[in-house]
Amino acid sequence: MRKKTSSVFVMTVSILILLIFGASYLHLTNGVFDMSVMDVIKTLLRIESNPKFDLVIFEFRLPRIIIAALVGVGLGMAGVVLQGITRNGLADPGILGINAGAGAAVVIFMFFFQLHLTSADMSSWLSILMMPIFGFVGGTMAAVLIFSFALKNGHLDMQRLILTGIAINSGFGALSLFLSLKMNAQDFEAAAVWMAGSIYNANWIFVVTMLPWLILLGFYVYRKSYLLDYFQLEEDSITSLGIAVEKEKMKLLLAGVGLVSACVSVSGSIGFIGLMAPHIAKQLVGIQHRYVMPVSALIGAGLLITADFIGKTVFAPSELAVGIVVSIIGIPYFLYLLVKSKA
Amino acid sequence: MWKLKKTNIVAFSILAASPFLIAIVALVSVMYGTKDISAITVWQAIAEFDPSNVDHQIIRTGRIPRIVAVLLVGAFLAVAGAVMQGITRNYLASPSLMGVNDGSAFVITLAIVFFPGLPNYQMILLSMLGSALGAGIVFGFGSLIRNGLSPVRLAIIGTVIGTFLSSIATAIAMYFQVSQTVSVWYNTKVHMVDMDMLMLSIPFGLVGLVLALLSAKAITITSLGEDIAIGLGQKTKAVKIISMLAVVCLTGTAVALVGKIAFVGLVIPHITRFLVGVDYRFIIPCGAVVGAFFLALCDVLSRFVNYPFETPIGVLTALVGVPFFLYLVRKHGGEKRA
Repeated sequence: MRKKTSSVFVMTVSILILLIFGASYLHLTNGVFDMSVMDVIKTLLRIESNPKFDLVIFEFRLPRIIIAALVGVGLGMAGVVLQGITRNGLADPGILGINAGAGAAVVIFMFFFQLHLTSADMSSWLSILMMPIFGFVGGTMAAVLIFSFALKNGHLDMQRLILTGIAINSGFGALSLFLSLKMNAQDFEAAAVWMAGSIYNANWIFVVTMLPWLILLGFYVYRKSYLLDYFQLEEDSITSLGIAVEKEKMKLLLAGVGLVSACVSVSGSIGFIGLMAPHIAKQLVGIQHRYVMPVSALIGAGLLITADFIGKTVFAPSELAVGIVVSIIGIPYFLYLLVKSKA
Repeated sequence: MWKLKKTNIVAFSILAASPFLIAIVALVSVMYGTKDISAITVWQAIAEFDPSNVDHQIIRTGRIPRIVAVLLVGAFLAVAGAVMQGITRNYLASPSLMGVNDGSAFVITLAIVFFPGLPNYQMILLSMLGSALGAGIVFGFGSLIRNGLSPVRLAIIGTVIGTFLSSIATAIAMYFQVSQTVSVWYNTKVHMVDMDMLMLSIPFGLVGLVLALLSAKAITITSLGEDIAIGLGQKTKAVKIISMLAVVCLTGTAVALVGKIAFVGLVIPHITRFLVGVDYRFIIPCGAVVGAFFLALCDVLSRFVNYPFETPIGVLTALVGVPFFLYLVRKHGGEKRA
């Protein structure tokens, strides 16, 4: 049985990686400036490099795809963690309001440090590197608020969790709006683009910003993923297995919030990836979290690259923020899960 | 019934005090803003209008339409929320949580994209259609799901469908490259109320208010429970249809006039119920007054939070609404009280 699961796992992962490469290929070659396959390959391998292609690929398209992939990975993993901890199939960082909390904190940061996201001197590098930390503080605050409101008599009420998330979302959303309106025009524009959940102004600084967080927390969460299997049991049985339930839950939750914050600080709030990816992953490789986790991460990356591709080509010459594309796909899925969960 | 007398007093004193309170907030709203104008000038602008005087122009074309619109919208949304809460027996029912607001804004977007330049009254009618559509989708979905009409579940479905409709609207607007025109409609725009629209929306809204007032007694009976209402000989279906019609009229007009404003329809009915008791014959008129006063107050504050710039009024209603919402969820909890 175990053998079978692991071979399914290997196959799923390889197919997903192929799909991701396919989507990236489409993303790289299509756009306002169409390129042939040979052009892309030549540019990537540095053969007869053409400065025009260099610019399009290295400055615009490649960082964007990498950001999409990284954010998808982060949100996919965070979704698995949140759904595992809350034992709720409808948990998602966006729906729960963690995105909004991290977002508000980043807006506060932009507001006080008058960040000019376009300039690339040393000081702005430093401040961009600080953004995930601020996001983390805000995301943690939101998580604490949500869980303290949803906790009653020591256990989490699912419905209440989602409702609290809705409230937290609009509260932090209002705060972000208020602060962003107080900014000067240039910062406001940057903040507005960012808040809509878009990645089209991606650049390499953002990649550098989120990569360490993603690697560190990603590995931690993956290593701990076996715990999520235990969390599906009754609380008493887990305790009798010698696991410090509350402590481990708290650590995992913080790691999940950290992942979300790193994503939010570069891409703005993108919901529903953390909802969809884990569910699809469980359909594919079963319920063992050490398989679910990487598959969900890959699915998240694939979904986000595809959604970004749709957002940029279907609506050309203007672009639709990837967050909106994702929610148009994700909400019917959410409703489907809602119908199924009580059927 | 022993409580009726006491609630009467509170309700009547609210109604009696309302002209003064609203007059005060209206005067403040007309006098203060980016440019302060003295009360005497205000009076002159109304009594002996001088078209060449800039202050008079500000008052006549800017401030007065604005305060009238805000008062009306506050009343409309509060009454719509009260009616919805009574009929569905759902403490979270309100135009913004149940997808009614979003439905309106969605249909308005479609209208702007596909039939630009529609006359205002058709816009209001379409907006009402959208309200009905939004409510229809949400309640339809709710009844598909087992236990889906429970307060909490319906609120979740409503919010999610609301997000969905607004995402689709954004995508459509983006695709046809009219997002700027649409965003003006979609966001609250109390600062640029259209005079013709205001004149048109008064009769439409009044129809809604009258319908709500006429069915107030029936709503009180319905709020006791379906079985009791039937036992008392009420035609529950007719009551539901009439009151939904009232909700659609009220919300559709409000959205067509100023765009989406959240939380007024949720919070005000609860506050009013706390003040005057559970009889909708009192809740509906008092709710209208309290809602109008509350939204006008928010509007005045919105000009000073970030002076001299204006803050969207939704930020202020959220400031009050979010903690209140959390309190409601915490107090009433989840499924058990379905």
